[in-house]
Amino acid sequence: MGGKVTCTLGEVKNRADFIVYWGGNPAECHPRHFTKYTLTQKGRFVPEGRKGRTMVLVDIRETPSVRAADIFLQLRPGKDFEVLTTLRALLKNQRVDEASVAETGLTIPQLQDLVDRMKRARFGVIFFGMGVSMTRGKHMNSAAILRLAAELNAFTKFVCMPMRGHGNVTGSDMVLRWTTGFPFGVSLARGYPRFNPGEFSTVDLLVRGDNDAALILGADPGATMPQPGIDHLARIPTIVLDPKVTHTSRLARVHITTAATGISAPGTVYRMDEVPLPLRPALKSPYPTDEDVIRRIRRAVAAKPAWTSSPDARIASA
Amino acid sequence: MPILTLKEQPPVPLEAESLSPDVVAALTLDAIRSLPVHLGKSRRSVGDFFEVAGPHGDELEIRGDAAKVKWIGRGMTRGRITLLGNAGMHLGSCMKGGSIEVSGNVSDWLGAEMSGGRIRVGGNAGGQVGAAYRGSLTGMTGGTILIGGSAGLEVGMRMRRGIIAVGGQARDFAGLEMKGGTILLRGGAELRTGAWISRGTIISLKPIPLLPTFSYACTYNPTFLRLYARHLAPLGFVIPHDEKDGAYERYAGDAAVPGRGEILVWKPA
Amino acid sequence: MLKITGGTVHDPANGVLGVVKDVCIADGRIVSGVDGGRSLDATGLVVFPGGVDVHTHVAGAAMNFARGVTPESYRRAVRFIHAPDRRAGLGGITPTTFATGYMYAGMGWTTVNEAAVPILSARHTHEELHDIPILDKSSLVLMANNEIVLDLLEAGEVERARDVVAWLIWAAKAYGVKAVNPGGVVAWKSGKNASTLSAPIPGYGHLTPARIISGLAGIVDDLKMPHPLHLHGNNLGMPGNVQTTLETMKVLEGHRAHLAHLQFHAYGGDGWGTMRSEAKALAEAFNARKNLTADAGAILFGDAMTVTADGPWEHVLHGLTGRKWSNVDVENETGCGIVPYTYKERSLVNAVQWAAGLELLLLIDDPWRIFLTTDHPNGGGFWRYPELVRLLRDADHRRECLKKLPPKARERMVLPDLDRQYTLSEIAIITSAGPARALGLSRKGHLGVGADADLALYEEKPSNGLMFDYPRYVIKGGEIVVEDGEIRAVTHGREFIARPSFDDGIEAYLRPLFEKVYTMSFDNYAVEVERLGQPDIHPCA
Repeated sequence: MGGKVTCTLGEVKNRADFIVYWGGNPAECHPRHFTKYTLTQKGRFVPEGRKGRTMVLVDIRETPSVRAADIFLQLRPGKDFEVLTTLRALLKNQRVDEASVAETGLTIPQLQDLVDRMKRARFGVIFFGMGVSMTRGKHMNSAAILRLAAELNAFTKFVCMPMRGHGNVTGSDMVLRWTTGFPFGVSLARGYPRFNPGEFSTVDLLVRGDNDAALILGADPGATMPQPGIDHLARIPTIVLDPKVTHTSRLARVHITTAATGISAPGTVYRMDEVPLPLRPALKSPYPTDEDVIRRIRRAVAAKPAWTSSPDARIASA
Repeated sequence: MPILTLKEQPPVPLEAESLSPDVVAALTLDAIRSLPVHLGKSRRSVGDFFEVAGPHGDELEIRGDAAKVKWIGRGMTRGRITLLGNAGMHLGSCMKGGSIEVSGNVSDWLGAEMSGGRIRVGGNAGGQVGAAYRGSLTGMTGGTILIGGSAGLEVGMRMRRGIIAVGGQARDFAGLEMKGGTILLRGGAELRTGAWISRGTIISLKPIPLLPTFSYACTYNPTFLRLYARHLAPLGFVIPHDEKDGAYERYAGDAAVPGRGEILVWKPA
Repeated sequence: MLKITGGTVHDPANGVLGVVKDVCIADGRIVSGVDGGRSLDATGLVVFPGGVDVHTHVAGAAMNFARGVTPESYRRAVRFIHAPDRRAGLGGITPTTFATGYMYAGMGWTTVNEAAVPILSARHTHEELHDIPILDKSSLVLMANNEIVLDLLEAGEVERARDVVAWLIWAAKAYGVKAVNPGGVVAWKSGKNASTLSAPIPGYGHLTPARIISGLAGIVDDLKMPHPLHLHGNNLGMPGNVQTTLETMKVLEGHRAHLAHLQFHAYGGDGWGTMRSEAKALAEAFNARKNLTADAGAILFGDAMTVTADGPWEHVLHGLTGRKWSNVDVENETGCGIVPYTYKERSLVNAVQWAAGLELLLLIDDPWRIFLTTDHPNGGGFWRYPELVRLLRDADHRRECLKKLPPKARERMVLPDLDRQYTLSEIAIITSAGPARALGLSRKGHLGVGADADLALYEEKPSNGLMFDYPRYVIKGGEIVVEDGEIRAVTHGREFIARPSFDDGIEAYLRPLFEKVYTMSFDNYAVEVERLGQPDIHPCA
């Protein structure tokens, strides 16, 4: 069972001489990643800047990020897990099946070369994006990257980091962890936090129709969910808090316009490396903040005849 | 044996871990009706959702489409549950003994982390059959799970001992991080079977795609399979093992770990 | 207003050692008398000042990292059920924030010192501390692997180093300075360690761990910080490391210092096979050095979670145990390693560790200088402190526990020969009065007039013999927060922060340096005091 070996972005800037981007397109999705953190910066221990670093891009298609890559490995769609598993075996000098490897679109010599370069690095990092975490295999693809990075530490310093998506996904992960113990997929129905992705994660709840109401904040599931999930959102009472009218708003029962956090509302955002940054609003907004609205909803709910969840704390999960 | 008939479909999943022989064995029917169940955030009673009839005892019969009823048979150590219909998630989770029979389909986490007893499903199962819960090191450590139909993702994930037999096809990651025990896939599987296995045996009666980290070892008719065949035949699961019918190709893996697991793929003569 | 009558009061800071007397409270403080108000009959109860935990890990990046990589640790955790006045939460070895407040208070502890905060994520630490109910808090900022500070020490620029350290303390809104494995954590960023106090650190010309230790101790003294340098020494956990500890104590001559979790630094032997407790020798040396305080960092058999900035040590532990390993290197400042661990009675090494912690507590003669901790969660969960109290008070119980250890272990320790039993007043010192004094919190740890009204009331003769497990009442700031094991009121505690003086010009020095090696705007680095819930600023003069 794996742990996680990672670092903050400044470590990459100051030390990384081998950078792998797997399943992501930073040139378009994280536009300042190369210039601020990973490639062009002159780091404390990489004073030559770009010349002192090797960048490997692993993806199923050529994206604009290829232009920044020293090595581009194009694998076939849905083969990330196979390639990562092969890399783990090659790292341990184990035999792998040539024909099976060929099905991934890459060859054993290519993968052996990658392994050798990773072992030779002074400080390596694998950044992985939604091409890994959202394709067939999902969390197991991410687990494979985490495991590979951890195992490389038998040879040299190696870390990995998820390329977190838009908004403050990392922030919600952080807050949920310290208040409930779990990063997402948390149920409080039995009065205390329970975690089970697949049972309590949003897409699964919506697709199965396991909930009878929804409050949506900072997301647009009406645009991204599978159709059965969208249909379910349209059927149940759905409330949306958002600065804009979204796809979800159009099928919701209630839409409340709120101030845009970071632009008109203060707070804290957590970077993909979990470093907190203050948000200082630059503009005023006529709309209430998300926090205002949630506090008012809570007060109104608290004024209702009390409901209590089960006081029976012994049961409910294994 | 008490007979519970679902009289009302729960609008959201119902958590009913009280529906276990250990809990109901000593109870009167009225006491059973008062047992707690949880509907979302509200605490309700068994009697709100089930008609309860029949003599008391530790053999429980549940009738109706209980696809949204979770945690039936949780941690049971004895007795029997018969489900004439479907059942929801976590059926027989952490079971230690006794038996569960389901005529219909079941959802995810069937027999998760069980250590003994027997579960039999006539229809299809979901994912994570006999598996470890998230973060936990070990899945099922004993017992038998038999599924007539198909199964979902991560069948037998991190199991250490016991037998899982699937009649239909399993989805990806059957035997993921397996540490021991046996999985029989009569209908084969989709991708990544045996991923990161360290020990254990996966038997597939249909050809399956294998990860590059599995190596062909030999073709043979292992002796132990005759024992398994004898054990599973009366339960409706036929394992071919006779030389005249064919042989098994043995693949060793997963080299990524490196593990000493095996996948046996049936090759008819 | 509240009057507690008829209790047996232990207030060793004011010379009260088990005297039946009244305690009066008004406006959250101890007063000499009250007219009216509520009366609480404490007949048959022992009255203690609320517990003060001088070294624990409860909030911030390291703990949240641990929570994320070990979801399975919540399976058997205590569950806190949501109620109109109470938040949901989970206990376990890495409790969630609300649960942390309820669990400490439920045990009679009312002030906690978060022992390790990176400046880069101090903002995060304060957000978590804000979510810990009831307790008062302080925090220590990590400094001994801060590359800007190390560069200055290497260059001999002590004055400037002092201003930088002061600026960083205020930027982090911390209460004190923490040093972890000086030089070792920065060496770990190139896969190395710093095991020899007098040898230059990898990557540096002549800067040694010893120089960092004496440099920082001097700076902390010069800045007149309320708490001295708080040091997690080099070579934690390694057999034979008592030599490093004795050497470290020499380096600290002439300075105040607090040695963290001393048990993990008390080993003899030259390998895992010959590891033994050298707590006796360490205690003798410690007794002679009155400039030092320490906390025990005792281990208890059962599950623990090792969470420490000592990255190299965690990698060693992972290699030894095969348990899952997590690590994060924090740019320019520090790092964190995590490995879940279980201490077992049948393990010779764990038996030695268990004995060493108790030996230190029994052999260090001044209870005002050695405090009760498990370095939570490294040695065991903080809610198990009552088990340690029992082991210190009851020599027969200790002997029963010793019987469960492997016979060979007895040759590696002196614990079987120790008969000392702690008195109740001594317990009050090591769990409250002593840590409060060491932290420089003048209104904590005692029940004199003017003190904060934080008290724990225990049954003198509980039916199950476990006096400290379930306080009858816990009072925080004059309010009864716990009664008979139930949370009665949820108050919001204060955060103690220190404000040392520094030359304002230091910011002009730091800004360009920062922009070069960090990855955020300098203006985003310092935590604004408005971000803290109820800050209580301690000027350093």
